Amino acid sequence: MAIEAPGKRYGKRLQHSKVFGHPHGAKSVNADLNVTPLVDMFVILVLFLIANFSATGEILSMSKDIELPEASNTDELQIAPVVQVSKDQVIVSGTSVGRVDDLTREDYLNIPALEEKLRDMKKQFEDLHNAANDSGAFKGDVNIQADKKVQFRIIKRVMFSCAAAGYGNIAFATMAASQQGEKKPETASRE
Amino acid sequence: MAGGMDLGGGGKGGKKPLDTNINLVPFIDLMAVTIVFLIMTAVWTQLGRLQVSQSGQSAQEEQPQENKPPPPSLLITEKELKLSVGGLQYDPIPIVKDEKGRLDLKKLLENLGKVKTEQPDQASITLQTEDNVLYEDLVRIIDACIGAQFPSVSVSPASS
Repeated sequence: MAIEAPGKRYGKRLQHSKVFGHPHGAKSVNADLNVTPLVDMFVILVLFLIANFSATGEILSMSKDIELPEASNTDELQIAPVVQVSKDQVIVSGTSVGRVDDLTREDYLNIPALEEKLRDMKKQFEDLHNAANDSGAFKGDVNIQADKKVQFRIIKRVMFSCAAAGYGNIAFATMAASQQGEKKPETASRE
Repeated sequence: MAGGMDLGGGGKGGKKPLDTNINLVPFIDLMAVTIVFLIMTAVWTQLGRLQVSQSGQSAQEEQPQENKPPPPSLLITEKELKLSVGGLQYDPIPIVKDEKGRLDLKKLLENLGKVKTEQPDQASITLQTEDNVLYEDLVRIIDACIGAQFPSVSVSPASS
């Protein structure tokens, strides 16, 4: 059977009719897609994403084990070494430096493994910057990313270790609280 | 429509139609690439930081002044908050939490407001915290202190 162009097809009886049998002009097979709504949607999407764009990137890697507390009077997070304190362990640069249960039992004021690791990081930073003749770049900034249910006895030891290793500018990482005091949905939590 | 600019047949002597169509295909391509890039680099979590210092160190460089009154001190225990300024001790504020487990800090903010009225130049406050206090509560109190115009917060363990 022959392929015919879309359109009305009349029966054999009317094929030769002057009224029905011969359409006024042959219909084009080409059809254009209306892309205007698509472009509108793209423009709105791009504007929304640009408004939410953060040039600093991801400073903290969000973990499922750590639920940050909320605060409203916060500053912008700076790029600095991050000490993660979950309910189970203390991690710095992806390395576990102590278990919370053990740290709770001990009576020391610092966490030796954490202090050592931070000293190494400081030395690396200073060596790198000395090689580039950029002395004085070290400010001692450190971010503490702790779970909100951790007790102060652990935070105290982390803070003391940071200060002892030369990281005296301690910042607590928090979630930005909304105006109504309701938690914003955390849409992108990564391990 | 999106197939290019229609400038008419171009026949000799014929009038050119005025309606033109803009080719949207490159625009859509650009948009699609931009959207993919922005989605991949998007940071969805709104994070912030609270600057603190340990007692004995100051977050902001501060020279001790002889005439300057000592900073207010807030003792944080599991059950109450005790604010003291110099020799004056305010009434202990019992720890009250709402149904979401958040601290009720109205009374503390009231007292901090009074301190700020008495010492408008005072920007420091020391938080003496007991070991059993939850980090969430400590952060809420630091947040309240910064909100009450005490931006230089020192945290120290409570002397038992």
